[in-house]
Amino acid sequence: MKTNQKKAWLFLAPTIIFVTLFSIYPILRAFGMSFQSGSLIDLTWTGFNNYKYIFSDPDFWLALKNTLLYAVISVPVGLAISIMLAWIIFDKVKHQSLFETTFFMPYVTSTIAIGIVFRYIFNGDYGMLNFLLRNLHMPAPDWIDDPAMSLTTIIIFGIWSSLAFNIVILMGALRNIDPNYYTIADMYGASGKDKFWRITMPQLVPTIAFLLTMNIIGAFKIYTSVYALFNGQAGVGNSGTTAVFYIYNKFQTVGTPGVAMAATVVLFLIILFATFLQRKMMKKIGEN
Amino acid sequence: MDNNKFVEVKNLRKVYDNGHEAIKNVSFAVKKGDLVCLLGPSGCGKTTILNILAGLLNPTSGEILFDGKSVVDVEPKDRHIGYVFQNYALYPHMTVLQNVMFPLVVGKNKKPKADAERIAQKYMELTQITELADQKPENLSGGQQQRVAIARALVQEPKILLMDEPLSNLDARLRLKIREEIRALVKSVGITTLFVTHDQEEALSIGDKIILFNDGVIQQDDLGQNFYLEPNNYFVANFVGNPVIDNFKVTKIENKLKANDFTIDIADLDQSRFKRTLADGDYLLSVRPENIFPALDGLLQATVDDVELIGRERVLKFTNDETQARSLVNLEMPIKHGDQVKLKMRLDRVFLFTPDGERVY
Repeated sequence: MKTNQKKAWLFLAPTIIFVTLFSIYPILRAFGMSFQSGSLIDLTWTGFNNYKYIFSDPDFWLALKNTLLYAVISVPVGLAISIMLAWIIFDKVKHQSLFETTFFMPYVTSTIAIGIVFRYIFNGDYGMLNFLLRNLHMPAPDWIDDPAMSLTTIIIFGIWSSLAFNIVILMGALRNIDPNYYTIADMYGASGKDKFWRITMPQLVPTIAFLLTMNIIGAFKIYTSVYALFNGQAGVGNSGTTAVFYIYNKFQTVGTPGVAMAATVVLFLIILFATFLQRKMMKKIGEN
Repeated sequence: MDNNKFVEVKNLRKVYDNGHEAIKNVSFAVKKGDLVCLLGPSGCGKTTILNILAGLLNPTSGEILFDGKSVVDVEPKDRHIGYVFQNYALYPHMTVLQNVMFPLVVGKNKKPKADAERIAQKYMELTQITELADQKPENLSGGQQQRVAIARALVQEPKILLMDEPLSNLDARLRLKIREEIRALVKSVGITTLFVTHDQEEALSIGDKIILFNDGVIQQDDLGQNFYLEPNNYFVANFVGNPVIDNFKVTKIENKLKANDFTIDIADLDQSRFKRTLADGDYLLSVRPENIFPALDGLLQATVDDVELIGRERVLKFTNDETQARSLVNLEMPIKHGDQVKLKMRLDRVFLFTPDGERVY
């Protein structure tokens, strides 16, 4: 028994070393740095000053507000659309694999590249989206250059990019549902609605819980899509700034790593809390 | 209404898209309230027939009548059938009660929850699963899941119950118990039942009647004992019976049947059992192992290769003309491995088949 345990450590060693070096240590280091000020090579203890600073910084609150709004809107909407699309592909479409591959493409394409394409689509003057909206006699806002529209644009972009991964995972889950469940339901005269709500959705609960966790964590860490959409900025006048954008800015541009780390710790706690809450909720739903 | 033809299948044919002809011109009828077994080896088309009856598959041609009315163009949900799948297909996220209630709370004819619960309770009592009402299927044994599946199949009060190998997921002992339960249950409900199985013993014990299939064709549609005593053809004789029947190659020359090392005088056979006069040529002589036994005046000499004990009887295995054959003898008979024996046949119980399987005696 004891020799077994020793050997186990040997097998675990590579993972433990890497995780310690690249995950645990940075977390602890970030936590420590959040109580220090000065440049990276000359850090001094400063207590809670960094936290005091970020909580009195309106930019930080805007970043948090944007991030929260983004997470709260884009995740549920994105997931709902994903479920709908996955169900349609699964239930109604003939060449499933073709569509599945098509839907998965955005996931393997670089966010920066997609962002550049979307800059064209969203362009206020010659963008495809506004061309369509004008033809439909609908208001055509300036998606990129109007500060009031920044967050909306980011959310739309976020929803679109989340579809790929979600749909592929959901398709896998749908395929795992015993087809006899539907055959039997058909035989009892169940309608499409009955089948969706009484069989498909309950069977998808574990998958949805997993995706919700992944999506929420991803949403709180949003950065690249903002960077790509607004050409390296956080929207006009920082109107589309997000938590990670704020952290990056404080760290790299302003050169105050302590402040950046304080914001990181706050974001970490928010994600932890949100994930915890979400898991509790899904467990309740799963039980019913 | 003709109760003898409550379910009637006429000239049914099914060709799959890949060109495989699963069912070739099948016709049969089922009496109201009967429990009929569709028996056959795997791939014989028995499940295909069940699925066509259920409406899950469309026949290529032919007619299906339930209670005198054609159902070929009727949707599965309007055929008034209950279906029990091989793996039961219980909904894992629902409790037993919710599973049984399911057919009553979906679709156009959904019932108010209280009514549905009352009906579900009634069938759960019948199948003795009332105390499991709040359990999830994953916590049930195979036999209990089976009962839930049957209760669910019965709540819509179908006219016909279709069961696709419902016992194959259970262990041997439970299978014996459950098959008796199923028979008692469907008889008490009085529902006409079609039961698919590949297990002859199961079919013989449970069915009022058995329809034996092979290669998409009905081989025999008969009462259980007739498969044993009066098989229609070579396939039936070899499929039904355990231990399996012994087959010897014989040639008819004048009024004798000659095998490699024994000869039978045709005059010794029961003349009333001949289906037609025998032409000269090759035949297969088949005899059930209990009808060939050691005797001093036996007509064929053999060495016992092996002795197998099966309960209160023994199977003597011997080789004749390069084929393994068996003789079923009493447990007490003092014969052991390697003994030389003389074997005698009950000639009024043997069968004769032409090389293509047609029975002539």
